[in-house]
Amino acid sequence: MIRQNNSRLQAIRDAVNQVHFNRFRFWFQLLAFALFVYGGYLAIDFGSRLPFFSCGYNQEGRAGVCYLLPLQHQLSQPWPRLFGFAGIAFLTGLLTFALWFIFLNKGWCGFVCPLGTIQDWLTALRRRMGIRYSSYSHTRFEQLTKVKYILLALMILIPLGIGGGLFSHSMSPPFCLICPARMILPLFTGDVTQFTIDFSSTAALVMTALGISVTALFLVGSFVKKRFFCFFCPMSALHYLISKPALLKLKKDGDKCTRCGDCYTVCDMGIREIADDVTTKNIMTDDCTLCLKCVASCPENGALKATFAGIPIFESTEAGFIKRMNKGNKM
Amino acid sequence: MIKLKLSAFVALALLSLNSFGEDTPVAPKRYGQGAGRPSEAQIAEWRAKRAAASEQPARGGAADMAGMPGMGAMPGMSGMMGAPDKPKEYGARSGRPKEEGASKGGRPGGMGMRGGALWLSETPPMRGDGARSGSSRGGMGGMGGMQMGGERGGVAKKRLWLRAGSDPQKSGFAQDDAEAEVATLLVTPNGNPEGEALPAADDSHKGLSFEMPVQGFYRLYLTSRKLQGDTLNVAVAKAEIANIGHGGDEEEINKALVAQRVLESAPIEIVRERKPDEKRFFQLKSGEEQAFIVLQKGLPVQGARVRFVSYQGWSKEAVSDEQGRVSFQIIRDYFPPWNEFEKRFKATYLLIADVTVAEAGTFKEQPYSNVRYQTTLTGNYYPSPDDYASYAWGLGIGTLILLFSGTAVYLYRRRRVQPYREVRFDDAK
Repeated sequence: MIRQNNSRLQAIRDAVNQVHFNRFRFWFQLLAFALFVYGGYLAIDFGSRLPFFSCGYNQEGRAGVCYLLPLQHQLSQPWPRLFGFAGIAFLTGLLTFALWFIFLNKGWCGFVCPLGTIQDWLTALRRRMGIRYSSYSHTRFEQLTKVKYILLALMILIPLGIGGGLFSHSMSPPFCLICPARMILPLFTGDVTQFTIDFSSTAALVMTALGISVTALFLVGSFVKKRFFCFFCPMSALHYLISKPALLKLKKDGDKCTRCGDCYTVCDMGIREIADDVTTKNIMTDDCTLCLKCVASCPENGALKATFAGIPIFESTEAGFIKRMNKGNKM
Repeated sequence: MIKLKLSAFVALALLSLNSFGEDTPVAPKRYGQGAGRPSEAQIAEWRAKRAAASEQPARGGAADMAGMPGMGAMPGMSGMMGAPDKPKEYGARSGRPKEEGASKGGRPGGMGMRGGALWLSETPPMRGDGARSGSSRGGMGGMGGMQMGGERGGVAKKRLWLRAGSDPQKSGFAQDDAEAEVATLLVTPNGNPEGEALPAADDSHKGLSFEMPVQGFYRLYLTSRKLQGDTLNVAVAKAEIANIGHGGDEEEINKALVAQRVLESAPIEIVRERKPDEKRFFQLKSGEEQAFIVLQKGLPVQGARVRFVSYQGWSKEAVSDEQGRVSFQIIRDYFPPWNEFEKRFKATYLLIADVTVAEAGTFKEQPYSNVRYQTTLTGNYYPSPDDYASYAWGLGIGTLILLFSGTAVYLYRRRRVQPYREVRFDDAK
């Protein structure tokens, strides 16, 4: 009986490990996109502490709100209130966000984030048009990877400055005003109201002009560079800071790695460590979106694996690799 | 193939944009439970109810006013009031209105208290409205458009001042009138739907204060009755305050959004008609159309003269239709210099409704043959985004950056393309 159960379990594992991964991910992302961009029409609401860009400015269709919006609002409260009773609301909000995040780790970025999905669609469009993609040199990569931490720091400090009366309320919420999701996601429900320049104050004028400019750069950048915006995303930086206790993890067995470089080649973020680092077990870096394309592209049995609460749920196998390659699975 | 797919993509995008700008369908809803107008069947039911009430003998007297024998002269009321007048344009009367006295312009002055129409304001005279102050909480207008206030960290409190006049900026405190009989009623979200008496302030300058312990909409009614000749003046000043925040119990808030908004015992009141797409945080903007409903004892009043007075004092008058409904477009009357413009500028509007009926009775043992009802409702409106937001500039800057960065990336990538160089090896050597 036990042997029969084990063989069934093994059959399921084999089926999962040999799945047509890109097709699975495409449909998963599409469903998640539909849920979080149009779910509001079905009265679906997952709250306002979500760890990905389910944009709060998509007022009609959203099925929940990205945590960065309430976070900035809470931080921009007057200091006596923020460091008083409102501090409890801030802490409970942060805890709720952390609980959401722990469940999927940065998998929220790779599988659920609507803005990430749009970038993947732009990449697919570019590939169909036969235009080559761009990548950063290692030196440039090392420099630019710090930008998201600077944005995260500004995203916290500017609202605090607003609460303290140092900056204008017209700058609130600062990151949302420059986030391309604010303009792009409402477009999918026919809302074009975010495509305006706000002339009500100098600060509002500057922030909305900056927002429009960043959106234009987002469209151009995402077209030539895979997951262009994720590289600068402060949510990604915030994720990494609290990723230790997360349930979903990306693990690497360096002994089985041949450093063939397939994983690096398919990595949208261009993370070199995924191929070069053969000593670290928990291989997820701050730029990783846990898209698991590296696992799907690895030909070595068990060299890379995704685990949930310590249980392997998807791992690299030679059979899976061959099956995907034979199907012409483009990474 | 690629062109075909691109065409399909553009067509889909256009289809998704096609719905933008369409009128939102208005779902029929009951009065007091959101927006919408009553059905013909509902109106017929109300008329039957009113006719039945009119058959009851009028008892008269001050005590009877609370029971109000339902507008005994109502069946003849439409004839008395005449057909609804054509609404007059803003400023058609006199532009900024002067403060009304007891007999100017046919308006009832001294309705219970001296100094003109009574209304409840969230600011005392001379302080004015405008940009949100540091002491305000929430920053969003609610159903009545009035902002909530109160101390931070504790139970939210609200203070309203009773003012007299028809200019939201210039009206002063209502003067106490010993001849008038005044009662104040507060309707809370989880309290008695018919309200509970609120103790009157010792001094009108101190205002009327009450606590708002739960989230929802609070309605305050101040009713004044005073006899003038053979006419009993009944004035109801009403305010609706939203105490709704970002947090809290969702179920409680959703319940509050569809709760009863009509006081069945009110001699007369104005209810702001909610819009079909209205959400938890609602702000009325300049340029928008807003409907109101005049009700007596929860039933629509036809032929009531309703005057909308803007923050700057511009006014427009209209007459309620058979559903008690009257609609105004909120004018733009905020024109500061650009560097002083504040998009959160909160302006107060005042709505005054009058109706007179032949109704006999006694008040303080004095007989009367007519009753003149007057009610006011105040709310807030804000500048329209059209006043400060520009699509042309937004799309212009976006397109410019898109073209510039796209061209720059293209040229950069083209410059880095290495020319193909073939290296030949001569194996013969």
